[in-house]
Amino acid sequence: MITNRSFRLRLTFWSLSRRRSRLLVALTGVTAGATVLLGLLTLCYDLPRQLGREFRAYGANLVLVASGTGRLTVSDIQKAQALWPENKTVGVTPFRYESVRNRLRPYTAVGTDFEQVRKTSPFWHLTGKWPEEPGELLVGADIAENTDLKPDSFVTLDGRNKKQERYEKDFRIVGTLATGGPEDGFLFMTLSDLEQMTGETGEADLAEVSLTMDEAALSALTGIIKSSISGLEGRLVTKVTYSETAVLSKLTYLVYLVTLVVLALTMICVTTTMMTVVLERRKEIGLKKALGAESSRVGREFLAEGLLIGVLGGLLGSLGGLLFSRIITISVFGRALMPQFYLIPVTVLVMVLVTIVACRAPVKKAVAVDPALVLRGE
Amino acid sequence: MLLKMVLKAIGRQRRKHYLIALTVGLGVSLATAMLGVMFDVGDKVNQELKSYGANLNIVPKGASMLGELYQTEDTAAEAENVNQENFIPEKELYKIKMIFWAYNIVDFAPYLSVPVEINGQKIILTGTWFNRHLKLPTGDEVDTGMTALKSWWKITGSPGDDGDTSGLLVGRDAAGRLGLKPGDSFSAKAKGKAVDLKVRGVFDSGGPDDGLIFAPLSLAQELSGQAGLVERVEVSALTTPENELARRAAANPGSLSRMEWDTWYCTAYISSIAYQLEEILPGARVKAIRQVAESEGAILTKIQLMMILLTVLTLLCSALAISNLVSAGIMERSVEIGLLKALGASDLSIMFLVLLELFLVALIGGVIGYLIGLGLAQLIGLTVFGASVPVKAAVIPLTCLMVLAVTTVGSLPALRSLLKLEATEVLHGR
Amino acid sequence: MSAILEIQNVSKIYGGVKALQNIQLLVPQGQWLAVMGPSGSGKTTLMNIIGCLDTPTSGRVIMDGLDLGSLSHSGLTAIRRESIGLIFQEFHLISYLTALENVMVAQYYHSLVDENEALEALAGVGLKERAKHLPRQLSGGEQQRVCIARALINHPKVILADEPTGNLDETNERLVMFILHRLHKQGSTIIMVTHAPDVAAHAERIIVLEHGRLASDRENNPVVSQPSEQKSADSRAEELNQNQKSEESFLAGTMAAV
Repeated sequence: MITNRSFRLRLTFWSLSRRRSRLLVALTGVTAGATVLLGLLTLCYDLPRQLGREFRAYGANLVLVASGTGRLTVSDIQKAQALWPENKTVGVTPFRYESVRNRLRPYTAVGTDFEQVRKTSPFWHLTGKWPEEPGELLVGADIAENTDLKPDSFVTLDGRNKKQERYEKDFRIVGTLATGGPEDGFLFMTLSDLEQMTGETGEADLAEVSLTMDEAALSALTGIIKSSISGLEGRLVTKVTYSETAVLSKLTYLVYLVTLVVLALTMICVTTTMMTVVLERRKEIGLKKALGAESSRVGREFLAEGLLIGVLGGLLGSLGGLLFSRIITISVFGRALMPQFYLIPVTVLVMVLVTIVACRAPVKKAVAVDPALVLRGE
Repeated sequence: MLLKMVLKAIGRQRRKHYLIALTVGLGVSLATAMLGVMFDVGDKVNQELKSYGANLNIVPKGASMLGELYQTEDTAAEAENVNQENFIPEKELYKIKMIFWAYNIVDFAPYLSVPVEINGQKIILTGTWFNRHLKLPTGDEVDTGMTALKSWWKITGSPGDDGDTSGLLVGRDAAGRLGLKPGDSFSAKAKGKAVDLKVRGVFDSGGPDDGLIFAPLSLAQELSGQAGLVERVEVSALTTPENELARRAAANPGSLSRMEWDTWYCTAYISSIAYQLEEILPGARVKAIRQVAESEGAILTKIQLMMILLTVLTLLCSALAISNLVSAGIMERSVEIGLLKALGASDLSIMFLVLLELFLVALIGGVIGYLIGLGLAQLIGLTVFGASVPVKAAVIPLTCLMVLAVTTVGSLPALRSLLKLEATEVLHGR
Repeated sequence: MSAILEIQNVSKIYGGVKALQNIQLLVPQGQWLAVMGPSGSGKTTLMNIIGCLDTPTSGRVIMDGLDLGSLSHSGLTAIRRESIGLIFQEFHLISYLTALENVMVAQYYHSLVDENEALEALAGVGLKERAKHLPRQLSGGEQQRVCIARALINHPKVILADEPTGNLDETNERLVMFILHRLHKQGSTIIMVTHAPDVAAHAERIIVLEHGRLASDRENNPVVSQPSEQKSADSRAEELNQNQKSEESFLAGTMAAV
């Protein structure tokens, strides 16, 4: 037996299912709107972090040094690493500098971890290969150009350690390094080679740290480092942190503003689409009124339809929006972003509000008009 | 007659057409704003990235290696053998602002270091231009110098002043080592000469500069006895991200064909700007500072790609909305179209009639939308970057094309289904 | 016979245009009244006022002892719902609902839906077999009969028909007139606006409006459908709707009633 309640549901259902082309129009509009909405909201949420990670291309933003004179120990660096979250770490590279000689000419030899260097200084330009085996050496571009320390040649480096003991070691040059900075005038080897050569282990002059943190978080971190590890000091690479803060805040602002503009326009677009769909049905509203339906009742029926379309379009659009933001982050940053699932109900809610607002005005207008005017056939 | 019908139809369905025009207008303003910002975002972000400082380093050919190599060594030894070839004449520097890409040179600053002894400790004093006003032979005037180049420096005390030839900026570490603070006066020795100096300010650069002392260039030249010479120039230039061509050119400019060479030379690649600087400063070698040059290329490329994708996806969505509305508009006209058919109008003429009407409406909406879009682009440019966004001429045909395509494509399915209708079916009171 | 509708000195002015001027009309219970007049004479305006779709600028309308002028907006809506059955020239069926559902919509807004009652109403106009069809699958005559079934479903006191045959061919016109005849026989009050004299000829009383004034008001000897006419209508209907048995049984029923 059909009751009034079920008849009402059926009215809504038929109105949607038997007017498929119109439903499609409304649904497409709402879905497109929801796609843009969720896509942009997700991006807004994630973009500052994604961009922050891109800015790590500028290299280390924190340098660990010994707070007094002298060197820091490798174990201190390891201790410091426990002070910041693992997932914010891009890389930690120790550097140790030694004065060495080759055939009486002085050079600066740098011992480091090349695997980490590639993370903290992605801008280093290498010709040849990275040292992997013991006894492999990189030369700076200026040295390669101006001396006979050329790639694929063999060199012997010698020097004296702190105890004034003389050391000597043979190396094969496996590549040249160009950075445009002071590195162009250094020799690079693995830290273990340098330790083995000098006979002094466990020390470094500094460690470059690249963290996905902003300036404020990094300054807070330097305080923590100072108080928890004695003899170790963290210093901000101001050039990197300051500029990153300036540029990143503008970029984030840009994305927010673009989002705002796009969203405002899209929502108006959805509203006009919904309005068109409702406007088409003015006659139907007039008829229902002529049959003796209360205005409020007719209004409620239309709002119920709008609600359904809003929910349906919002859900479909949420899928689209996740795809939208995924396409952008994957193709731009090469990383998938974490979908923010709580944004889905927000999207659906917004779309429902938009459709209801869009339905309200024309329906209100239509029910306010005398049914006679609507029915006269114009 | 046709025009009359179209105008009548537009007049009659006024409310409907308001909505179509409004939606088209919104779409167009969105397109204009997004395309405008998209085309300009590269330049704007590039400008912002200049806060990372210099991306080019000009050094004399002869000394290009030794100068830096000996930085950690005892510099006194090197200072002994002064060699004219190891320096660049200060009076040549204005030429930097006269290369093909002169307008892309944002800033530059020369450096000359001299070892001095303060309070019995040896330290390197570097002379530079803090903020120099230059008059070019072209009649242009520019301000350039280290203050703008190293925007991240945090200075306590007063900033550097080229006119104050005894005023120094002291690095944080150097100040700690020498026990200096802003306002201190002291006596220093250089090459046996004694000179009275004072500390204008102490700076924190968060880098190796913290161990140095900066002074006006003339002071360093006087102390070292190298009048009119500098040993290094840092240049900050707006560049285009490197591509395959630029990489090949950087490796060996001779490998390019004539046309490729022209393209490369006339594009603001870091390598072509470096090449042009070497052309006007014979005896100098220009190196890209990869930390800045590479990274800004990487970030610029990503941001541009992001804006392009954002624009494309947003435009797709607004295109969908417009074509959607257009098709709704056409569907509603079924009775009228049935009537026209019954009167013997051909499918083609009906299509023409409907499309003409739509285009007229879309045109009006489009023009208004374009103007709004210009405004929005400016709003974004001014609020985010504090500079207006010049909307490229290419945006107009692009948006026109978009509106045309979207309206046509959007109306096709609806038109097709309408044309399939039998006249009687439509007129038979649906 | 008591008056179901009393119109006292009613005028209606639309922005300076006097659509109706000082109309006086008394309609007794059960009367079949035809309102005639050329286009623009105020027929539709009068219709709208009687149907509570519009309110007069001045004057009183009393329906079934109730002064419509004293009613609020929702009070008028209630009168429309309870007391009036509307038959439109353009049918005004809701396009996405079947014939049955279109009838049920009227029940829904009136009180409670009752599928069986709605089906009976459709059977009463000979459309039992077409109950599940959408308006676009129905002919004009069928659509008008759905409209009539919808108008009757809530047992209105007054049936208002605005050019009920205006969009119909002769055969369907006859079918509709048969139904109205039957309703009249059953005691319904019918007020019918038409410009066609042959349609008006079915009514007991004909008033003519001209320029918003009552030009004439006369009793009419209603046309009693002649057997031959019926037959011709019957045969023509059969020709048109040969495969619609319901049509025949409906016509048979109508003839019996007449």
